[in-house]
Amino acid sequence: MARAMMNLLPRTIQQQCARSMSTARSAASKRPTTSSLSQSQCQSFQPLTQRRFKFKTVEEAKSRYRSGPFSWKAGLLFVLTGGGLLYYFEQEKVRMQRKRIAESSKGVGRPKVGGPFKLMDQNGQTVTDQDLKGRYSLVYFGFTHCPDICPEELDKMARMFDLVEQQRPGVLAPVFVTCDPARDGPKELKEYLAEFHPRFIGLTGTYDQIKAMCKAYRVYFSTPTDVKPGQDYLVDHSIYFYLMDPEGDFVEALGRQHSPDQAAKIILDHMKDWKGKLKTA
Amino acid sequence: MGLFPFFGSQSEESKRATEVRTGAVAPSRAERQKCWEARDAYFACLDRNNIVDALKEDKKAGKVCGAESQKFEGDCAIQWVTYFKKWRVQDIQKKARIKELEAQGANKLDVATDFAPRKD
Repeated sequence: MARAMMNLLPRTIQQQCARSMSTARSAASKRPTTSSLSQSQCQSFQPLTQRRFKFKTVEEAKSRYRSGPFSWKAGLLFVLTGGGLLYYFEQEKVRMQRKRIAESSKGVGRPKVGGPFKLMDQNGQTVTDQDLKGRYSLVYFGFTHCPDICPEELDKMARMFDLVEQQRPGVLAPVFVTCDPARDGPKELKEYLAEFHPRFIGLTGTYDQIKAMCKAYRVYFSTPTDVKPGQDYLVDHSIYFYLMDPEGDFVEALGRQHSPDQAAKIILDHMKDWKGKLKTA
Repeated sequence: MGLFPFFGSQSEESKRATEVRTGAVAPSRAERQKCWEARDAYFACLDRNNIVDALKEDKKAGKVCGAESQKFEGDCAIQWVTYFKKWRVQDIQKKARIKELEAQGANKLDVATDFAPRKD
């Protein structure tokens, strides 16, 4: 008897449901799918009615009723998820910006800044662009007789290099290229650079080699033309640090507006983005 | 030199100073520092006497800042002296122009214009 009642109960609910649906959408009732649709909808109500019995006490049920679906757990989940997504998107935005800067100079064919060179370092060894590949390099142009900016910038470069070296040892090569090859031979460069950083690589060469190097790096420099031997002069030149990636392509120019810490951060961030191989020496 | 070690070392020093002055050798870090200090002292004197262009007003500058000028020229390469004097004129003009622009409400760009190391 009781079992018969139990069997009957859902059916009546079903029928009511079907009726209410059919009155609402009388045209739709002619379709064969309607009955199965209303049936499934009706069934979906059933677990809801059963949930009522999940609460053990009346107080529990009351508090659930008062706060609705919002609890501190739900709130925390919401805040955490929202915060996480926000953080992720911000990070991605910054990363994409960096990538754009790095790739803007990776055109098809010839790179816009940098390129092959063959120069001599302060120990008299030949250095080519191939020797710098596999690592990031920071290239700066200057001359040893420079009155104010170069020494200041070289001190900055030393600080920058140390900061990068602390986190990624051996990944960055600091390079100083002279714009005054007539006076800055390997010996002069060695003496000069030793006062800034023992790891600095100083490059010099013939006037034509240096001129080609400066042209490749889009560095402007002008040596006075009518200099008599032994006469002092200054060289006018561009004052940017050129960050080059391990393939020898130009990444970004760092200028006087960057503090050593800012510049080191920029370099480290680019290194983080690098997916290819890195040589550490 | 053996008999007069004092004179010997001094002439060695003055020889080096002459080489730095004429630009025969590049100054070392210590020599650069010495030159910059002399320059700053000289410029401070020019500031006190309201001299902008020390090259144009060299007579007046020589009269009021003679001692500083002598030290400046003794510690720096001749080329540097001229360069710094020219730089000072440009720097003063630049600062005045920036002030003017700021008064008009222009936005400031973060660019270093002085020799002092940046503290940030």
